[in-house]
This record gives sequence, structure tokens and C-alpha cells, in this order.
Amino acid sequence: MPVLFLLTVVVYPLVYAIGLSLQYYRLGGFAGLHNFAFAFQDSLLGASLRATAIYVVLAMGIECLLGLALAVAVQRTVRSALGRTLAYLLFIVPMVTPPVAAGVIFRLMYIPEYGILNVLLRDLGYHGRPILWMSSPGMAMFSVVSVDVWQWMPFVFLVLFAGLSAVPPDVIEAGEVDGAGGWARFRHLELPYLKPLLLLVLVFRFTDTLRVFDHVQVLTMGGPGASTEFLSLYLYRIAFKFNNLNYASALALYVVIIVSLLFTVASRYLSEELA
Amino acid sequence: MTSGGQAVEPRPVPGRVTAVPAARPRRRRSILRGLVLVSLGVLAGVYLFPFAWMISTSLKPTRELYLQPPSLWPLRPTLDAYTAALVGAGDWILLRNSVIVCLATVAATLAMALLIAYPLTRLRVSPRFRRGLLSWLLSLRFLPSMVVVIPIFATVRTVGLYDQLPALVLIYTAFSLPFAVWMLKGFLQEVPQEVEEAALVDGAGRPRAFFRIVLPMISPGVLAAGVITFALAWSEFLYALILTATPRSQTFSIGVWSFVTEFEIIWNQMAAVGVVSALVPIVLLLCARRYVISALTFGAVREKT
Repeated sequence: MPVLFLLTVVVYPLVYAIGLSLQYYRLGGFAGLHNFAFAFQDSLLGASLRATAIYVVLAMGIECLLGLALAVAVQRTVRSALGRTLAYLLFIVPMVTPPVAAGVIFRLMYIPEYGILNVLLRDLGYHGRPILWMSSPGMAMFSVVSVDVWQWMPFVFLVLFAGLSAVPPDVIEAGEVDGAGGWARFRHLELPYLKPLLLLVLVFRFTDTLRVFDHVQVLTMGGPGASTEFLSLYLYRIAFKFNNLNYASALALYVVIIVSLLFTVASRYLSEELA
Repeated sequence: MTSGGQAVEPRPVPGRVTAVPAARPRRRRSILRGLVLVSLGVLAGVYLFPFAWMISTSLKPTRELYLQPPSLWPLRPTLDAYTAALVGAGDWILLRNSVIVCLATVAATLAMALLIAYPLTRLRVSPRFRRGLLSWLLSLRFLPSMVVVIPIFATVRTVGLYDQLPALVLIYTAFSLPFAVWMLKGFLQEVPQEVEEAALVDGAGRPRAFFRIVLPMISPGVLAAGVITFALAWSEFLYALILTATPRSQTFSIGVWSFVTEFEIIWNQMAAVGVVSALVPIVLLLCARRYVISALTFGAVREKT
């Protein structure tokens, strides 16, 4: 019964979306694949896809690399239970902060005239023009990426740290006997254990950065221009500002198809590795 | 331990690391250790300072906002910004909406998740079906919400639930279910079958055995799942933005957002609503901190701390 509920909530809208996507905007009537074809001539969509790609690569890349490095470093150096608990608490707080609140936090930091960041920079000896963190295209991208990294690098860290703690100590000891240095220890002893978790983290971060919306909406609302108008913000504009649900549905279906394909591939690996 | 004075100096046993060659790496290690500790300290600053700044801003009276340079701490801390935002701007209604929606979502999610997870772990279902259902649930986690929201918006409007709290409860329940089922499934699997069978043998029916025996045993899990569901529903923004239009049904996230976009320069009130919105899930999830990671990764990672 509850499964049925879930099915209706998920499947019905999808069917509905297919219906919508096959109709003409405003005119109604069967449009065939018109909306799907239009996507290929839509230059704004191209720009949005490019911005999304930059965002996904930057945010996911930095999060995973930093998180991994930090997990390895902390695992090797911080031995006391207290230290580890403190690190755990420190990193769980940003993760559970609502994205909207994170947006507020960083807006307060980034506001040019009042924002504390520019004041701090001045104290550190920077005397150029105040940096427009949110309203110059390059900086805006940096700002939204930084919020994502701030919130979700801890996730990568905590997952990988848990993974490292699960490496049997005798494996490490045996490695040390054989003269494995720091890098070799990571590369040959720990990495094999981390692999499934790394994959898991990549899948989570990829899908989450791909659909990022909340804190971007709070920080830049896609601006300036369309420099941070990521896929979901673009869809939002088409569907709810221009009320073109038909074209938006078509785009949405593209995303569903791509994400499901990726998921099928990833889940095959995941279930193999985790089972 | 050793008899006599023979083994004063332990002979190097083959296959064991002796202390001498480890001396240099140890010094290098302590430098590394220092570096890591310093960078952890810096990170702690990077993580705690933004929060501190938001709290400090929220406690400032409006006059202090325009000090140049801005002061780190409020000179005269007041709660004015909170009362102005919650009472003056009427955001307490949104706060109330949020609490209602979240509580209803938790109740509905837990009930349905148990209804799915319990039969899944106890009744004879084919493993194929079980695995299929579970991985389908997992796949819902990866569905971009922006994609689902468009048809849901159209549907909700035709059904007449637009700008009504039940619409939000319905959607939030549907999208909390996957993780709740996974989480409760994990806890249910840890209850030994024998305990329940013993109760059944003693003449209790399935429902009675469930409520009297199984439910109390998994109550920590149910509680944790409830807390996490509450926090997720509390933080949700996109569906609320699209499915609501008036304070009648808007949630607190929307209140925070409109403070940012409409009243740009009243920073202390913006910070105040930010504090309120962040505080609720942080406090809740710090209580359930042991389960956060495992809930977010669908049980793939178990936390020990």
C-alpha cells in the first residue's frame, strides 16, 4: 500500500511530464518532439549547461580531494578519541545547516560594503577596490562553489574517515614491516578499502551538485547575467517565470534519462563493491 | 618476565620493526602532525567564524550595522532583530507552518516506512523483489528534485492543493521515505527473528508482537529516523518555494529567502532568521549525530563515534 502511494507520487508526475512535453506551449495540441528538438537550438541552455559543468567539476573535485587528503591526514595524526570527536562535531555542523541558512551566512560574509570578508582583507593589507563577491561573474562562481565546498567537504571527510578506520590494523602493520612509506601505504593498502566509498561519495556529490538550487538562489539567483544560472535555476525560470511548463518538462525528461542511465551504471558497481 | 639477566637487550627478532630505524620518520611525523593540527585549527576557524558572524550580526541593534569598519561583536547586544523579524514581519506564522508540516511529515513518514520496511524484512518475499524495491527507493534519492517539481506543480494545481500545507506534507513524506525505509530496514534486521517468534509462539498476534516486542527494540532507530526526517523537511526549500504562495502555507525557509531578496539591507533581521533556521536542525541532529552519516549514505557507512 505505501509503496503504491510512492508509486503514484513519483510515477504519475513523470507520465504527466511526458504528456506536457509533447504539447505546444500555450497553444496546446500535439507537438511531437518539438520541445525536445528545441533544446538543441537553445543557446541559453548551452550557457547554463556550461556553468553547471564548471560548478560540478569544481565543487565535486575540490570536495573530494580536500576531504580525502584531510581524512588520511587526520587518521594518521590525530590519535586521541577526544580529538576525533571534536573533529566529528566540527564537521557535522555545516552539513546539517539548511542550505538556505548557509546562503544567508555567506551572504553576510560576502556583502561588499558590510561584509566582513572585505574588512578582513583590508586588515591583511589588501587595499584595492572592494571585491564584488557576488556581482562579478568570476567571483560569483567562486562564491557559490565555496558554499558548496564549505558544506559538503565534511561529508566526504566523514565518510572516508569512517572507511579508513575500518582498515584492519594488522594490514597496516604488515605493510610497515615491508617498509611501506606514507604514499605506498595509502596507494596500496588503504585505497583498495576506500574505493567503494570513494565511488559512493562521487555518486552522491555528483547528483547533488548537478541539481544544486537552494543556496545559489539565495546568494546570486543565477546572476550576474547568467553566470551562475545552473540547470535547475534555468529550469525554474522557464517553468515558473515564463510558465512554459511544456519545454521545461522536456528538459526535465532529458535530465531524468541521463541521471537514470548514470545511476544504473553506478549502482551496478556500487552493489558489487558494497555487497 | 625473563629469568636471570640474559635478555637485557632484546635481540632483534626477524620480521619485527626495531626502534632504531624509526627515529627519523618519527621526527618527520611529528612535523606532519603539527601541520595537520594547525590546518585543523584553521579549518575550525573557517567553519566556526561564519556562524559566529551570523549570530553576532543578529544580536546587533540596527544602528551598529552601519559602523565602519563593522565591529566584530555587538556593542549593545539586543534581541530586537529577532522580535522584529518574527513578530514585526510576521514570520512566526511561517515558523508555525514549518513545525506543523515537519511534525506531520515525520508521523506519516515513520508510519509508512515501517509499513514498508517491516514486511520487507519479515515476510517471505523473493530476494529479487526486495532488492529491486530497495534499489528503486535508493534511485529516488538521486532524482533531481527540479525535475519532479514541474509535473508535481501541475498536478498539485489541478488537484486543488496548491498553496496548502497538505501538499507539502505529501511531497516531503514521499521523498523522506527512501532513506527512512533504508534506515529502519537496517534496524529491523538487527532484531533477532527468534525474539519475535517466541512472542508469536506465546500466542501474541503479529500486530501485538510488533508493537510490544519489535517496536521498543528498534525505538532508537525510529527516533533517529524521525529526527532526521524532521530536519530534512525543515531545511527543504525548492518544493516550498514552488508549491506555496502566501503566508498561509509558506515555510520558514521561504521566510529566510524572502528576507534576503526583499529586505536586502536589514542585515540583523536577515541574520536572525538565518540563526533560527539553522539552529533547529543543528540541535536536533547533534542529538542524533551517530546516525547522520549512515542516514545520508543509506546505511552504506556505519558511524562509531
